[in-house]
Amino acid sequence: MILIGYMSLSLSIVLVAVGLYGIIVSKNVIRVLLSSEIILNASLLFLFSVSLIVGLLYKPIIFSIFAIGMALTEVVVAFAAIILYYRQKGSLEVD
Amino acid sequence: MFLTSDILQVVIFGIFSIVSIISAIFILNSKNVFYSAVALAFLGISIAVLIADLAPASYSIYSAFHILLYVGATVVFLSVSMVIFKDLYAKQEQVTPSGIAVAVSAVVLFLSVILGLSSSSSPEISPVSLQQLADDLLSGFWFPAVVLVIALLTTLIEAITLARRD
Repeated sequence: MILIGYMSLSLSIVLVAVGLYGIIVSKNVIRVLLSSEIILNASLLFLFSVSLIVGLLYKPIIFSIFAIGMALTEVVVAFAAIILYYRQKGSLEVD
Repeated sequence: MFLTSDILQVVIFGIFSIVSIISAIFILNSKNVFYSAVALAFLGISIAVLIADLAPASYSIYSAFHILLYVGATVVFLSVSMVIFKDLYAKQEQVTPSGIAVAVSAVVLFLSVILGLSSSSSPEISPVSLQQLADDLLSGFWFPAVVLVIALLTTLIEAITLARRD
């Protein structure tokens, strides 16, 4: 069980790296938002893996429920900002 | 030859970790951003399965929340909202040293986490019931729950405002 905890820990770090790379190289605003969503997913997996390894099985569930609720709010607010940006600039590319 | 539960756990982990990595790479490489959002749904589902696979008795409740709230609400909202835009095609900038920098930082993060967790002990698995979770949410974490409900309500109003367009 600990082995699978370490395996998912490694996977989450790989996903964080992929998301970070996407944020750096993307010029499209929506793709930057999607890359940050990859990092969110990876960080949730990271949280659960670490909790499994150190033996805190119950606490991350409540924390993660609040985290994904707030992620939903963040996505809608970010998307509103993207729509305003698109109406002003006429494009989704960032300089 | 029968599969034991541990082997099955590792097999499920292997399959869905490959799905998640492929989805994450597709999100970055797809030219059409709408398909990237669809790939994000696959990533969310595979992450939910991976979390449930870690400790099925304890984490399967959270996986249901993840699929319902994250994949069902966030990703569907993103996908549907993208219909607004005309130019969904994205181009990528070639930044050569960034890949190396990200890889090095990932290795450093991995090593620091492994070193930090090296002295941890093996946990005891205890099943989590929905009743226990609801009791804890409403007694110990009632204030964050109220804040979350207000935030989701304002999000709903904002989504309606966006949908009305003018």
